[in-house]
Amino acid sequence: MSTPVITKPAADAVVPVRPTLGQRLTSFMPVIALVVLLAALTIADPGFLTLNSLTAAVRTSAPLVVLAAGATLVVLCGGIDLSIAALCSLATVFFALWLPDLGGLTTVAVIAATAAIGALQGLAHVLLRIPSFIVTLGGMSIFSAIALVISDAGPIRVVDRDVTNWLTLYVGGVVPMSFVVALVVVAVISLVLRLTPLESWIRATGYSESAARLAGTPVDVVKVAAFTVSGACAGLAALMLVSRNFSGSPSMADNLLLPAVAAIVVGGTAITGGHGSLWRSLAGALVVTLLRVGLPIVGVPSAYEQILYGAIIVAAVALTLDRSKVLIIK
Amino acid sequence: MTTNLQAQPEARVPAPVHALEVRGLVKSYPGVKALDGVDLVVRQHEVLGLAGENGAGKSTLLKALVGLVRPDGGEIWVRGEKVRLRSIVDAADHGIGMVFQEQSLVPNLTAAENIVLGSEGPGVRRGVYRWNTMRRLAQEQLDKIGSHIDPLARTDTLSFADRQMVEIAKVLRIEERTSHPPVIILDEPTSVLESKEIETLFTQVRRLREFASVVFVSHRLDEVLDVCDRVAVLRGGRSVGEVPAADAAPAELHRMMIGSTGGDDHYHGASAAVRSDERSDEPRTPRLVVRGLSGKTFRDVDLDVHAGEIVGIVGVHGSGREDVCRALFGAEPTTAGEVVLDGERLDLSGTRAACAAGVGYVPAERKTEGMVGPMSVADNMTLTKQHSRCTGPLVRPRKQATLVDRWIERLSIRTPHRGTAIQRLSGGNQQKVVLARWLVAGDVRLLLLDHPTRGLDVGARSEVYRLMRELAGSGVATVLLADSLEEAIGMSDRIIVMSDGRATTEVAAPAGGKPTPLDLVKEMV
Repeated sequence: MSTPVITKPAADAVVPVRPTLGQRLTSFMPVIALVVLLAALTIADPGFLTLNSLTAAVRTSAPLVVLAAGATLVVLCGGIDLSIAALCSLATVFFALWLPDLGGLTTVAVIAATAAIGALQGLAHVLLRIPSFIVTLGGMSIFSAIALVISDAGPIRVVDRDVTNWLTLYVGGVVPMSFVVALVVVAVISLVLRLTPLESWIRATGYSESAARLAGTPVDVVKVAAFTVSGACAGLAALMLVSRNFSGSPSMADNLLLPAVAAIVVGGTAITGGHGSLWRSLAGALVVTLLRVGLPIVGVPSAYEQILYGAIIVAAVALTLDRSKVLIIK
Repeated sequence: MTTNLQAQPEARVPAPVHALEVRGLVKSYPGVKALDGVDLVVRQHEVLGLAGENGAGKSTLLKALVGLVRPDGGEIWVRGEKVRLRSIVDAADHGIGMVFQEQSLVPNLTAAENIVLGSEGPGVRRGVYRWNTMRRLAQEQLDKIGSHIDPLARTDTLSFADRQMVEIAKVLRIEERTSHPPVIILDEPTSVLESKEIETLFTQVRRLREFASVVFVSHRLDEVLDVCDRVAVLRGGRSVGEVPAADAAPAELHRMMIGSTGGDDHYHGASAAVRSDERSDEPRTPRLVVRGLSGKTFRDVDLDVHAGEIVGIVGVHGSGREDVCRALFGAEPTTAGEVVLDGERLDLSGTRAACAAGVGYVPAERKTEGMVGPMSVADNMTLTKQHSRCTGPLVRPRKQATLVDRWIERLSIRTPHRGTAIQRLSGGNQQKVVLARWLVAGDVRLLLLDHPTRGLDVGARSEVYRLMRELAGSGVATVLLADSLEEAIGMSDRIIVMSDGRATTEVAAPAGGKPTPLDLVKEMV
């Protein structure tokens, strides 16, 4: 079929609209926030900015970065994954239990299992039309309970450390391997999104699901895929925790859920979907970790630490969220 | 206009004080000037009709009158007093109330609750409903319009006509707020009513005149002339005149509404393909064959569309034509029927299958369903036909840029850049991007257009018309749900009339042999 041609050319010239300085700045805001925070901590305690403390900070941040990266995909689709921390805890138990039998294959098995569990939640969300908030809230509770049952409600020691030892190495003697892995995860997922139609599908789904559906976007497939990757990331984060703690425990990652959500929003990803990126969540995770690690180091009393933490998170979101890209603020 | 703001208010309050007066009201939306200096006078105790085509600015004007839209310029005077209406409550305080086109009652509450909702007054004491007082308050309102509806009936058990009475009763509550006769606005009150119910409504409207002024808006000109004392006509956001209803004919009103606009040049043509086919008498197999299609809101719909043909479907609100359109795109479940496109059975299970089969759909709700606002023009354009910008699984930015720029030029889409967020474009340019989405791969065979010109100005509309013709000329089969009867008649080669979910009549509309709007209206009701 021949393509139709409209003959009349555009009559009026259009003045190009350049992004304002403010708009340009908002896209760098997460990084700016990170630098400002680092500077503030250094000013508060000039001894803070040492190679040692930075290394410790990024090593601590690695599981959080991976968890937040996976969950960011779900958030970009307009959903939320509240089960990541519980699933991560469950995965540490899986790892400790399966290691004696599976040996070197345990890594693959755990990640495959959590990916499958993530996919299952995605399918429940898509097929049964249950809001992702509810599905993953239920998932959170179920995974915690399963972890308690199969672990007899206590930590399981990991005796064979060879399998996870590689994660505790340092690249070039300085950069923790777990952080490098986290960076690779963020980079690979970002690249896949950028180089394939997935990015526009995910954004369209997150911004306006009905418009995406009516444009023939495979909305359901995209959502299930996001939950699957989020699950896989929970499995990977579990490996990092096990490599550090030499055990699996049914509540090991439970305190990571809210920091992960905070990392996503502090990065400037819109909780309503569509707008954001994994790089932003990386910066957000670093901000959150620096706050957690840095505030006690510079001598903030622990009672005030929570207040400051909360206030900085809210302020950071106020800075990093580009409101022109977000249709509704819920 | 803002320049007139200081034009000696004292001097402009002459003898007969009007219930409501609008002077030079202006309101612009990006790309569209909805109101361009509207003047309007509503006298005490009169029924004023407001007529105008879609996009003439009626809804914007009404919204400005009840404080839902802040005008950019101009003045609103209520009983000789200049007012600034900031909200619907503000408007109610000045005695202006509106019965909305989309019914605004809460369906699972009783009629009484709905009537007092938001202005409970003595109906609530210490935060608790006093049912007896409420029923009495509601009954007073219903008595005003002589309605016999049970105030304690749940609203969703009432007929559309009764719900309308409840709405009117509700609006009359604003009498409590002012000591003056109120102004009641009825926006398309008849669109969901049957003819018998319409008669009852008209009786009500005439009764309302005893103690209020009424602004009556309807698409149906005969109705307007029947019930109103005077009719004001809007066109393109301006007041173009008014006539006393007693000695005006629908045709005269209609001429005032349409004027002579460029958009009409594209009416009354026939698609190239149809013209050339008229010479050969061979029977052709239609490109789209629909047999016995049934769903929740439509039954046994048969429809044929030939390649290069534009078939309009007309029908009143609730005729089910929108759902038929969506069903053909796999976006609305069907219970029975078969759809064949170019000899192959069309999979109606989802939108993806339809897209793959070469079906394109332009939804009526452009902003929420047609486009993804914050995404770029380029990404919106290639959202469906991803393969058009990919090599294998990989996106090729340069391939996308070339393709998108070519279509921006072909359709003269006015955008600063292909990377600009589509929500920053004007409505017409947005719509062209949405249309281009189906064209970029050159594989579209059937286009379903649901109100493709809704909210567009005259110039943008005529560009969409031209594009539709060119597409038909290249062999695309088109189903059109037009914005107005005139548009359906002008653009279609054939018109299907739908009523109560069934395709009842087919009317030929070849160039030179177009039916009149009245011919169609007879079949629609």
